[in-house]
Amino acid sequence: MVTKTEPATSPSAAGGGLTYRPNVDASDRGTEVVLVADMPGASATTIDVTFEDGVLSLHGRVVPRPPSGRVIRQEYGIGDYRRSLRLGAGFDGTRIAADYRQGVLTIRVPRLAAVLPRKIEVRAG
Amino acid sequence: MPAYRTGFALPLDELRDEIDRLWTSLVTAPPLHGWGPRAEERVFPAVNLRETFDAFTVEAELPGISVSDVDISVAGDSLVLKGSRPGADATTEAPTDATTDATSGATGERPVGEKVVWLLQERGTGAFERRITLPVAVDSQRVEARLVDGVLTVVCPKLAACQPRKVEVRSA
Repeated sequence: MVTKTEPATSPSAAGGGLTYRPNVDASDRGTEVVLVADMPGASATTIDVTFEDGVLSLHGRVVPRPPSGRVIRQEYGIGDYRRSLRLGAGFDGTRIAADYRQGVLTIRVPRLAAVLPRKIEVRAG
Repeated sequence: MPAYRTGFALPLDELRDEIDRLWTSLVTAPPLHGWGPRAEERVFPAVNLRETFDAFTVEAELPGISVSDVDISVAGDSLVLKGSRPGADATTEAPTDATTDATSGATGERPVGEKVVWLLQERGTGAFERRITLPVAVDSQRVEARLVDGVLTVVCPKLAACQPRKVEVRSA
């Protein structure tokens, strides 16, 4: 199992805190590419998904959880999520669907119908 | 003489540092568990532990794990988080309904044409178990846990006997 890793040590421009690179599973299913990203602590309203020039960018803002009490053990940090993935050409940016539940963001990026393989019917003349 | 020695030693030092770095990157690369800056991050889940006057708060990130997939047990000063995360296919099963309708009708099987090619697999799946020893015993009857947006928060109130108590000084 993988915990949140690779803290991108650059402080995010807006918040000033650390940003983290979410772990991603990406699978090509022919008609679409499905991306699943672990982004615990974010919420559907604070996640931005953009697709531009074949690059899918994820940004999840994490509202800092108010710290209470004395820290005894700190094994992970809390901060925004940011990651860009290059998908290339042939995707339909207008039909991208994103869904966030249980701290996991699932994005479906469909391919353009024009680039999908099509069986050509041969007509008898 | 010292100048010569330094000049001679430096490239070797650099080489040694470089080999050290390379070796460190090799031995600390856990391909199955991803990269982590600290060794503890290889255990799943990572936890943050805080202490207030009367309770401990254990927080863990469990993305993609539902309430029914996690089992929390408390006894004395030990807290055990146990569970499993379903495989990647279970979380991305939804597209099949759309595609089966279009191609193979109501067979319910995955259409022959749909081949899944993994481009990235960074998220782990499977069972996990983590035992955390708290500094003092807690009241297992009053432990409360919440799982919101993949973040588990377990509040463990300290046993009354273990709570700090102000001792009154009586005058004679």
